[in-house]
Amino acid sequence: MHATILVVEDDGLIRMDLADTLTDRGFSVLEASNADEAISIMNESTLIRALVTDIDMPGSINGLELAHHVAETHPDCAIVVISGRYSPSQGALPEKARFLSKPVSETAVTRTLTALGIA
Amino acid sequence: MPLANPDCRRLFRDHDWSTSPLGEMDQWSVELKTLTNVMLGSLQPMLIVWGPSQVTLYNDGYAAMCGNRHPEAFGRSFQSLWHDIWEDVEPIISAAYRGEGTSMDDIQFTMYRNGYPEETHFAFSYTPVRDPWGTVLGMFCACTEVTAEVMARRAERTLRDRFMQVFELSPGGIAMLGGPDHRFEYANEEYYSMIGVSRDIIGKTVAEAVSEVVRQGFVDILNGVYRTGEPFVARALPIELNRGPEGEMQRRLIDLVYQPMRNDAGAINGILVQARDVTELRAEEARQALLSHELGHRLKNQLAMVQAIASQTLRNAPDISSARKRISERIAVLSDAHDTILEGGRGSSTVRQLVDQIITLHDDPAQPRIRIVGPNLKVGSRPALSVSLILHELATNALKYGALTSLEGSIDICWRVAGEANDRFEMEWVEVGGPPVAAPSKEGSGMRLISAGLNGAANSNVKVLYEPSGLRCFITADLESFQKEH
Repeated sequence: MHATILVVEDDGLIRMDLADTLTDRGFSVLEASNADEAISIMNESTLIRALVTDIDMPGSINGLELAHHVAETHPDCAIVVISGRYSPSQGALPEKARFLSKPVSETAVTRTLTALGIA
Repeated sequence: MPLANPDCRRLFRDHDWSTSPLGEMDQWSVELKTLTNVMLGSLQPMLIVWGPSQVTLYNDGYAAMCGNRHPEAFGRSFQSLWHDIWEDVEPIISAAYRGEGTSMDDIQFTMYRNGYPEETHFAFSYTPVRDPWGTVLGMFCACTEVTAEVMARRAERTLRDRFMQVFELSPGGIAMLGGPDHRFEYANEEYYSMIGVSRDIIGKTVAEAVSEVVRQGFVDILNGVYRTGEPFVARALPIELNRGPEGEMQRRLIDLVYQPMRNDAGAINGILVQARDVTELRAEEARQALLSHELGHRLKNQLAMVQAIASQTLRNAPDISSARKRISERIAVLSDAHDTILEGGRGSSTVRQLVDQIITLHDDPAQPRIRIVGPNLKVGSRPALSVSLILHELATNALKYGALTSLEGSIDICWRVAGEANDRFEMEWVEVGGPPVAAPSKEGSGMRLISAGLNGAANSNVKVLYEPSGLRCFITADLESFQKEH
């Protein structure tokens, strides 16, 4: 049983590479290029174990707000927030969410997912 | 102990009094004898002018003031001594002979008593001397040297002028307030330019002159400093000042210091105000901070993009040496695109510049095989990098498998504004005349990178068609976000 991960990133190249990396690690990966797309995918699928999202994206809400939304609507979904801009202060992220600074290494993302119980 | 005035004592002794209007000394009146005794006993400069012909007698102290007119002047008329300044001296000596004394605080002499010309200052009093019946017999004058006092006053004034200059030259605003109601005693030009240049404040209280600061609590703060002696120091304090050309309110950020000033007894009698308008400085600092933050963000995004390109290249490469070559080519393309983006300022690069850059790299100017048609269209920095990378991958692919492998092959690149609302960007890459093409069984890294689309542009789509006549690539995106500077 492969855990399903939703990758949200507006830069197609970075999203593609992150998806490839996670696929290689045995995950099943869904992709969204902004938060609005991500929410509709989350609403359709109950199988998503983890959300990996960028912060700075076009759309009605950014990745940080998406993280809070998902934390509320899908309390069992693990959340990893990635950004090259923000280093969110304590309290800016949902309680169980982890933060990774861009660019993200393969080791960092897999280690973080493992720490969140996604294997 | 030697007697005072040895020089003039000798003159008195040796003078030929028989030819003098005063006559022999033993015949002198008791008044003249007494005054002569006083004068020759005194260390103060003294002068006697006696009789209707104003015979001049003096001691050593006064002799020094006469300079080289001494000793000739001794026993001669007062006018012959001071002939050159007689206009000034005549009225006061005449007044003395009429019975009116005069005192002068400061008369300047150049004296040579120390071997060099020296500015000196003396205070004089001309005193009429009368006989017991009230007739004026002559004039007695005692002098006091005030050079030291004059020089000290002058030095003080010079110092005060210098300090005034220091205040005026200070890059910060300075004002002095006096008394418990904080009345403006002084303000430098910088202070005026801070509160509003044409305001009339000297002699007025702060509450009258700069009334808008009262409700902002500054008079309360001044009262506190005046009462407690505790200075008030604040940085980048927001203050509303009616400083506009029409006296309209402006909000400024001011570094402000209030310090108590004290009198000789140590009691507070005023407040020194030092103020610096840091509005522009703070705005510039904030701009710099934002800029470096933005730069850091961009750099991290660029690194993430390079990371993705490197990773994609390695993932799909047949061997390490071709991977190395592809990575360096791709990074070079990004670097060239950056040059175009930075040239002439951000947001000024056009699709044509990016296309030209790729053509220069892959086409032969002697036998051009790439035709381009398209308007001058601005492109944002992020989509510009993607456009360059996609064109590079398409050109590389054409050289390897497509139209550029044969001499008959050619490529048409065209772009346009499209859509019913003219809100779409479209670009087409059409290869003709090359060998027949078919979709490869395994997608190479170039095609993977192309399929990632236009970074930063909304609703972007890249379609690659392997048609028998040649490869076609169709790129489309939302125009507004394609042109937007992120």
